Amino acid sequence: MKRLLLPLLMLVLFYSDSLFTAVLPDTAFNGKYVIVPRFFTVGLLFMSIFFDRNTAIKYGFLFGFLFDIFYTGILGAYMFFLPLIVYITSKLVKVLQNHLFILGFIILFGIFLLELIMFQLNVLIERTEMTVTQFASIRLGPTLLLNLIFYLLLALPLKNAFEKLRRIYND
Amino acid sequence: MPQFFTNKRLIILLGSIIVLVALIGFSLRDRDNLSWPEQFVKDIVGLGQAVVSKPANGFAGFFSEIEDLRSTYDENKELKARIKKTAQLESDVARLKKDNQELRNVLGKKKSLADYEPVQATVIARNPDRWYDVITIDQGEANDIQPNMAVITAEGLIGKVKNTSKFTSTVQLLSAHDSRNRVSAMIQGKSNIFGLIEGYDKEQKSLLMTKIPYDSSVKKGMLVTTSGKGGVFPKGLVIGKIKKMVPDEFGLTQTALIEPAASFNDLEHVMVTKRSMTTVLPQKKERKQVLVEEGNL
Repeated sequence: MKRLLLPLLMLVLFYSDSLFTAVLPDTAFNGKYVIVPRFFTVGLLFMSIFFDRNTAIKYGFLFGFLFDIFYTGILGAYMFFLPLIVYITSKLVKVLQNHLFILGFIILFGIFLLELIMFQLNVLIERTEMTVTQFASIRLGPTLLLNLIFYLLLALPLKNAFEKLRRIYND
Repeated sequence: MPQFFTNKRLIILLGSIIVLVALIGFSLRDRDNLSWPEQFVKDIVGLGQAVVSKPANGFAGFFSEIEDLRSTYDENKELKARIKKTAQLESDVARLKKDNQELRNVLGKKKSLADYEPVQATVIARNPDRWYDVITIDQGEANDIQPNMAVITAEGLIGKVKNTSKFTSTVQLLSAHDSRNRVSAMIQGKSNIFGLIEGYDKEQKSLLMTKIPYDSSVKKGMLVTTSGKGGVFPKGLVIGKIKKMVPDEFGLTQTALIEPAASFNDLEHVMVTKRSMTTVLPQKKERKQVLVEEGNL
């Protein structure tokens, strides 16, 4: 039964993104910024570091697929790029050291990469007219800040949760 | 330096890039509605989403209600003044409605472009990555909702149904950046002026209505509604008020900046309008022809 906790945790993180978007009024900061919660991605990166990389890639694939179908309607975008981000960051973690302070930077880098890829993709398929400077000031900065705050608040609990889950799965 | 990708991984990467391009191409294709696997997945995710979003909406509503309390006194004063005027207006509307009905009966013309049947729906999700201005509502094909129906709030038009599954539908807001997002609209004046709403200016927060004749006298504050002439939306849904007129790039027609009547943010309860009169959608063949003609220009 305890094995179900892992999918459940990821499911909670998955829905927390859209809940945050629904609860945060768009008029916050006069509607000047677009703040994107990437809580699921942060959780996924934690999973790849403290649980198991390949499982994280599978979860990224599956939940990315759900995200594409339910929210964006552009199939394949998150389904493909979430696993890629997991792969790249896990390589980075191996090169750099596994310390919570440095991990924060690595995870922020992962989110930066995901935002940048999604921006380029949307420019490519002509779904946005944003310029790079607009993107950096309106979306990227506030998004990274929000997810940094999320990381600072939940880094320790998430780390403990995934380490516990790994022990459960190893038994 | 260690090898970043082994051969096997490189093949997986290249293979998935091909699949990615194919999938994106598939989803950008001009299609009527979702395929059934997509609908199935959407229904399941939507079920979970509805379960989590309802208590969360209640929670968020609690805070905004507290905020509302602070301005209650002023609002009450203003509303009281307005109610006095409304009584007269209401009786006028009832009388005119009856007149209209009787005259229609005399003419033998029962249906009107303005008739629609509203379906109440609750917003269960908003796209968290916020690249596309779409929301998901908790009504779908089971309640006869079909793509391209107009979606309104009590204030006015907010968008159209983009696609549906059995129990959920996705609504594309007017603020979305999509060249196919067009609404046939009219400016109400002594004589109605027709035009197309063709886009949204994010910086000015206003809708752009193009192809207005250069000699038409449109003033600030005039009401803009749907015209029903596009063949999809019912007539008479409020879109907004004229904010400013600017000449277009060639100086032949004017473009109006319209302040939307409904807010596209913080949506919770919306209505989907089922138009009573038959809707006209261009046939696939005709659509292709239009594309060819545009290409020749």
